[in-house]
Amino acid sequence: MFKTEEMEINLGPQHPSTHGVLRVKLHLDGETIVRCTPMIGYLHRGVEKICENKTFFQGQVWTDRTDYVASVSNNLGWAEGVEKLFGITVPRRAHYIRTMLTELNRITSHLLWLGTHALDIGAMTVFLYAFREREEILSMFEAFCGARLTTTAFRIGGLREDIPPGFEKQVRAFQARFLDCLDEYEILLTENRIWKKRTVGVALLNAEDAIALGVTGPVLRAAGSTYDIRKAFPYAAYAEMDFQVATKNEGDTYARYLVRLEEMRQAHRIINQCLDGLPEGPVMAKLPKVLKSEVNEIYHAIEAPKGELGYYFIGEKGGVNPYRMHIRAPSFINLQALSKMVEGRLLADVIAAIGTLDVVLGEVDR
Amino acid sequence: MTPMTPTLTQYLVISLLQIIVVMGFVMTLVPLLTFAERKVIAYVQVRLGATRVAGGLWGAQRGRTHKSRTFTGGLNGLMWYLGRVPVFSILRGLPMFIADALKLLTKEDIVPVEADKAVFVLSPALAMVAAFTVFAAISFAPGALFHFPANFPLLGGLPFNGFLTDLNVGLLFILGVASVGVYGIVLGAWASNSKYPLLGGLRSAAQIVSYEVPLTLSLLVPVVLTGSLNFNEMSTRMATDVPVNAVVGIFRTLLMFVGFFVYTTCGFAETNRTPFDLAEAENELVAGFHTEYSGMKFSFYFLAEYASMITVSALAAAFFLGGHYLLPFGLQGFLHIGGWWGGPHIIFFLLKIFFLLFVFLWVRATVPRYRYDQLMNVGWKFLIPYTLVMFVIAALLRYAA
Amino acid sequence: MASSLLRTLIPFDIYGGMKLTGKYFGKVLRQANRGVKRTHVVVEYPEVPTTLMPRFRGRLQMIKDEQGEIKCVCCMACEKICPTQVITIEKGKKEGRKTPYPTRYDFEMERCIFCEFCVESCGFDSIILNHQFELASYNREDFSHALEGEFQNMFGITPVSHYSVASED
Repeated sequence: MFKTEEMEINLGPQHPSTHGVLRVKLHLDGETIVRCTPMIGYLHRGVEKICENKTFFQGQVWTDRTDYVASVSNNLGWAEGVEKLFGITVPRRAHYIRTMLTELNRITSHLLWLGTHALDIGAMTVFLYAFREREEILSMFEAFCGARLTTTAFRIGGLREDIPPGFEKQVRAFQARFLDCLDEYEILLTENRIWKKRTVGVALLNAEDAIALGVTGPVLRAAGSTYDIRKAFPYAAYAEMDFQVATKNEGDTYARYLVRLEEMRQAHRIINQCLDGLPEGPVMAKLPKVLKSEVNEIYHAIEAPKGELGYYFIGEKGGVNPYRMHIRAPSFINLQALSKMVEGRLLADVIAAIGTLDVVLGEVDR
Repeated sequence: MTPMTPTLTQYLVISLLQIIVVMGFVMTLVPLLTFAERKVIAYVQVRLGATRVAGGLWGAQRGRTHKSRTFTGGLNGLMWYLGRVPVFSILRGLPMFIADALKLLTKEDIVPVEADKAVFVLSPALAMVAAFTVFAAISFAPGALFHFPANFPLLGGLPFNGFLTDLNVGLLFILGVASVGVYGIVLGAWASNSKYPLLGGLRSAAQIVSYEVPLTLSLLVPVVLTGSLNFNEMSTRMATDVPVNAVVGIFRTLLMFVGFFVYTTCGFAETNRTPFDLAEAENELVAGFHTEYSGMKFSFYFLAEYASMITVSALAAAFFLGGHYLLPFGLQGFLHIGGWWGGPHIIFFLLKIFFLLFVFLWVRATVPRYRYDQLMNVGWKFLIPYTLVMFVIAALLRYAA
Repeated sequence: MASSLLRTLIPFDIYGGMKLTGKYFGKVLRQANRGVKRTHVVVEYPEVPTTLMPRFRGRLQMIKDEQGEIKCVCCMACEKICPTQVITIEKGKKEGRKTPYPTRYDFEMERCIFCEFCVESCGFDSIILNHQFELASYNREDFSHALEGEFQNMFGITPVSHYSVASED
């Protein structure tokens, strides 16, 4: 008597919780997801192509604008990738400062994820508490390199300038209270029955699927893997740092939440070690006047807050620009897991899944 | 003085005055509540909330500089200095609610082309009428607020009651009319002929129908304990009944304590507030059932939601928190308080309502949102058995008494 | 069993969160905008000026030396290094000056990304990024800066932000 059909609904590109311009095409049976297709490209700027026409020095400003909530990590990946291409050795002090800033950046990225993820699930207040701390770190970035978001923090061969006076005090003051702030978020969320109901067992992704899909970062580690590039292929000063890789075995949204909180605690530890063991010395290596590449190709990956961020460079003879540059963007590859996570689940789980994948559309679309 | 029986004219005039007073109260409380919502949530989130009104209320004003500070209009300058005053600094940004109301009134009213126009226009009105009619049976003060002076024209010597009607089935009336409100939401969502409102409306229908049951069951506890459906009698007897012995009294207080939380939980669901605001669920369904509404029609839904918040608070205050008496949970019957504090006063009732409204906002700022199926589970598997047990205990207490 | 049932029935977990948010509500209510000790994090921006870090990267500005001469010697380093090509320089000569003199130094702020590469590349310290951040404007022309012209001042502080609230008189 009645005709039933699937409802097709567009979640985004203008939607309060798709974190930018992600469009997810959903086929719904009632509220159950039958099919889920992420549609991307609304923020495509052709960063890779632009970078082919810019020198190695200039290209860094575009990495600020891929994953714009973790621009320091992107800067690090670019700078280290180019250094690898040219065989430049960076002074140890520069490595330490780079590590410290990158870990601070990991905290800002995770705080932004925590705030927006909680906001998506309905807890409004965590967002503002998380941003309170994020603001402090952003003002540290402002003190270090003059910008809060598009940092352009590093230079090929080291740093542009040493840390400014008063910076260490600023960081230590933040370090002193950050663990208490983390406890505050935990009071609001970790044991909360509604938070647990919304996250435990939601958006499941086991390690096998995660590896098959190429998923990296906290999403992979929450599924039981211990793959962390900081440990597996240490870069910057990570080989000298003492920290643990946070893992969980459940592979659900709640496990990812706990893994990211633990990563913030580990980042806190690493920053303290960087501050305590900061070596003296120069922050910039000796560089030739113009960087001219040989026929050469390298891949350099770092552990960005969202996963494995890789830069692939191909040089040509005497070229001042990369012949080809490719970014292995963690958000882009992690987003593949969305369909796997939500099919057969409810509409509200899509929101939780997008939140827990921590995608930044600037990086997905590049 | 023997109570006078008013003539029909007198009756109608007094009723009209009472309606104006009650509606005036509700209609001022609702915008103030939106302002309070801004402020409470802002303060919880270590912000300041609205502290200024863009450009002043009378058109755009140029900023002016005073002692090296620049203000964006005279009114905002005033509010800046208000910010120095300890407690009254919460009143900064108060003109915002007038600005909000003006914005909603003057905004373009869009009716989607594909919408069912008649239903689309009618359903917000239905929601609002249902939410406001409920106040007919709510008693803000048990007896007369005051008597008109004897020399008052037409109404001399007549009482001005703190309630509109003293229905002997008041509770049934409240529950019945309040549940009409869901039609406003469902019809509006359906008439929008759009996907997000449809999902929101369906969620809302299922949610409100499910939560009507535990809500009504939890209200059966006072009904059984007092054996009445009259609002005034129930609230007075719930507050002041002297228990036959201590054991009954303790159980009665405990029951009311638990019943208060169960009722408030259901009330949150009934009014579509966080953690049960699935019908709107901003982060999932954009704006839920009122996605396609704008301007005045949207504000009707808005008024209805906040008015039903006041209703739920009023019922909880009346039946569980001691109503017009000072002490909550029936403690008034144990502890005999003399003098002014012992008597029924409208101010106690209003304070309790305001506190409960604050709790609504406080909870909204704290907890996440349930998922649709979990909401149903909480309703059917948790709250309904809970209320049934309470109902049985209430019946036993009634038997013991 | 009993304790887990009790935990289900009585929401201690939510109570903890409510206590935390209530604590913040009380604190902010008492300290809202009272100056010295404050819990809230709001900067009431147009009334209270923002503090910037010394290295803040604002708008590009040319500086002059003590004699009032433009320090720029047209080495074109900034023009070359600029990732978005917002700087255009024309080399020229001036009476009584040995080094080249820029007859034209255009700065298109619409495309500028404030990366400070130009300042870094300048070997003569003739340009800086100043601390100006209120750069919005109603006119497109206001974003084009040059050596000469009414609103096209490469030396001044606020050719554009006279539209911002904080600088209104």
